[in-house]
Amino acid sequence: MFLARLLHKPPALDAVQRQRLAAWDALPEPDLATPHAQARYVVVDVESTGLDIKRDRLIAIGACAVQAGRIDLAQSFEVILRQEAVSARDNILVHGIGEQRQREGLPPTEALLAFLDYAGKAPFIAYHAVFDQTMIERALARHLGLRCRRQWLDLAYVMPALRPDLIGSHKSLDDWTALYGISNYARHSAMADALATAQLWLVALNLASTRNLDSYKALQTEARAERWLNRAY
Amino acid sequence: MSAAPALLAATIDHLARFAPFDAMSPEDLAWLVERLKLGYYAKGEIILAPAHGEVDRLFIIKQGVVQGEQAAKGGAWLELHEGESFPLGALLSKRAAISTFRAQTDVFCYELAATDFEALLKRSAPFHDFCTRRIAALLAQSQKSVQAQYVFTVSEQQSLDSPLASLTRRRPVTCTADTPLRQALETMRDERIGSIVVVDAADRPIGLFTVRDLIGRVVLPGLALDTPMRAVMTPDPVTLPASARAFEAALAMARHGFRHILLVDGGKLVGVVSEKDLFTLQRVGVTQLSASIRAATDLDSLKHCAADIFQLGHNMMAQGVAPEQLTQILTTLNDLLTQRVIELECNAAEVCRHSFCWLAFGSEGRMEQTLSTDQDNGIVFSLRPGETADAVRADLLPVAERINQALDACGFPLCKGQIMAMNPKWCLSLDEWKAKFADWIDAGDPEALLNASIFFDFRPLLGQTELADTLRQWLLGKTVATPRFLHQMAANALRNRPPLGLVRDFVVASEGEHAHTLDLKLNGSTPFVDAARVFALATGVEATGTAQRLRAAGPRLNIPPAEIEAWISAFYFIQLLRLRNQHAKHEAGLPMDNRINPDHLNDLDRRILKEAFRQARKVQARLALDYRI
Repeated sequence: MFLARLLHKPPALDAVQRQRLAAWDALPEPDLATPHAQARYVVVDVESTGLDIKRDRLIAIGACAVQAGRIDLAQSFEVILRQEAVSARDNILVHGIGEQRQREGLPPTEALLAFLDYAGKAPFIAYHAVFDQTMIERALARHLGLRCRRQWLDLAYVMPALRPDLIGSHKSLDDWTALYGISNYARHSAMADALATAQLWLVALNLASTRNLDSYKALQTEARAERWLNRAY
Repeated sequence: MSAAPALLAATIDHLARFAPFDAMSPEDLAWLVERLKLGYYAKGEIILAPAHGEVDRLFIIKQGVVQGEQAAKGGAWLELHEGESFPLGALLSKRAAISTFRAQTDVFCYELAATDFEALLKRSAPFHDFCTRRIAALLAQSQKSVQAQYVFTVSEQQSLDSPLASLTRRRPVTCTADTPLRQALETMRDERIGSIVVVDAADRPIGLFTVRDLIGRVVLPGLALDTPMRAVMTPDPVTLPASARAFEAALAMARHGFRHILLVDGGKLVGVVSEKDLFTLQRVGVTQLSASIRAATDLDSLKHCAADIFQLGHNMMAQGVAPEQLTQILTTLNDLLTQRVIELECNAAEVCRHSFCWLAFGSEGRMEQTLSTDQDNGIVFSLRPGETADAVRADLLPVAERINQALDACGFPLCKGQIMAMNPKWCLSLDEWKAKFADWIDAGDPEALLNASIFFDFRPLLGQTELADTLRQWLLGKTVATPRFLHQMAANALRNRPPLGLVRDFVVASEGEHAHTLDLKLNGSTPFVDAARVFALATGVEATGTAQRLRAAGPRLNIPPAEIEAWISAFYFIQLLRLRNQHAKHEAGLPMDNRINPDHLNDLDRRILKEAFRQARKVQARLALDYRI
């Protein structure tokens, strides 16, 4: 039941916001066995105030939609969450979102609702997905009172599974993008990193097709096996 | 939900680094980018193939290298890089791709649906232009960069493309036909000028007088200083409209041997341009050279002139003179030199009782000589009653040999293939030439076709030019009426394919003496030259120059003028590269040839050369279509 999922201390959502959340909740869950060619995926990258999963807060989300094996540029998404306290100066140097822009972002509630509207219930893909997943889920709980478990697939495990010949030599997103000549127009911006990650996802889909790993589910299984073998990171 | 502005902006920035996107409006670029999908192709993967049917999208390479292959052309012929689009032709004509496009590296391509491609053609003029006449657009860019490049080497040098009006420095000084000589000379002294223009009441130029005329016309004949100017002036001076370009003045000076050209506007005198104005920094002037050639009385002075022509060609090359103008000037001067050589040898031999005409063949016949050119010539003569061809030939051959040797001494090497007037095979009576041409047209074997490609570009240089004109008319009558021969010529021309291809952008020799180079003459200009010849012989066009042939034959074959001009631009671009290459090799002390290493070209030139080769393929496609080959 939807209401049961709300936090015991519900955040203040207005009627329209509640309606949007309910509409999202009513969407059917995707069939993870759908062949890649028919599936819609959302590739995500986030920027935060720091790398501490427990303490740091979400600053920005960048995302690309992949449909029928193509990144649809018109279906790209970027949002900055307005911060009450501006993030530490040293980190600004990394993500490049200055005080001004942090203050100019959307109110977190609106930003996250926009993200849900955009993503629907498409399965997510990210590189080092645990970080993106935690940041987004914590923000959803805090600002929308939404506790949900979405599907996440981590390219940091998928890629070594698909290229066992490169295990050990390729560990970071930069290693893999360099291998495939994927350029990044602005590293450490959520949008640019999401695009580079999405391009790597296209590569993964291409490699997967040669090994009959033709669905998200099949790749999840591969990634889990890879994780148990602990060959990434 | 609108797309992320940062991503769209980054994509626009990326595309705007490449033609034609760099010329498109921001609105149209935004419109385009919102409709792009990004796809990935693994190394070796086929992106597009003829079997995929009608092409449903445009591919724009984001990163990586794509290779085009055609089975009919023996594999790979084309390489595409970041920012390049394909398959434009197939999309424009709504058909399947002719080539198979394969990812040569890991490739990411932006993809635009065919319906959006159509819409963009209608929205954006630069995009439309690029897709339909890419070559012309790229050439404009290249010329700008060529000019920029030479600005550093030749300061203050006037471009031969400048309008003449911009070169005149002062109002012309004039007098009337009735002005006494003394008054005119006083004016010239006071104004410190070397020439004065004689005008009528309506300010129209009717004569010219220069200080150089003073000795021959005034001092030595002992003329009185009250003689009216009409008696000493050079009447009917050469005039050009003020809007004419500098190179036209240079040509007029060279042809007529004058040092001054009068500029008129609506018949009225508006200025005078002297040779000095045209070539202020040039060591050797065109007019000075042509005058020296005309005045030469022995082979030694002609040798000096030949060396000067050679130097002039290199100077003009260094100035960035366009190839069309450069080859015209070189041809004009070489013609003059050859004519003078012939005159001198004929005078010495006293054979002028025979009426004959000296013919130029090959590139000289087409007026397309480069800086390095050997002899291709012959003689056509007429017979008086009672004379036999063999007897006349016996008279002419020794003179022809001396002429050939003299030209060799002037720097036009003897023809390795013996296509020279001193060869009895190519010193023929009009009837013998007709019989020879008729044999080739009837035989149509490889040797006959090769000969036709050299000899059918004949042009009269000196003597009874009407003999050449008669031969031309007869030849055209014969070729127009012999489609089978034209078909054989066309098929022969199509054996020589432009070298678009594998290693980088072009097919080059991989080893041996010519490793990594391609032949700009054989593979570059020859396809245009051959096609233009077939078009001209098929439609009765008398011109021998490739550009002139294409322009004259185009309308008769219903080829759109824009297409013809694109071919001509491509042809001249290749000629320009040939000239630049010869110039550079000469400067480096290397033997001049037509081979270049495409890797040594700058990006823009390499792209244009690729486009020029594509145009060569289009000309060939047209030929193949016309003759169902």
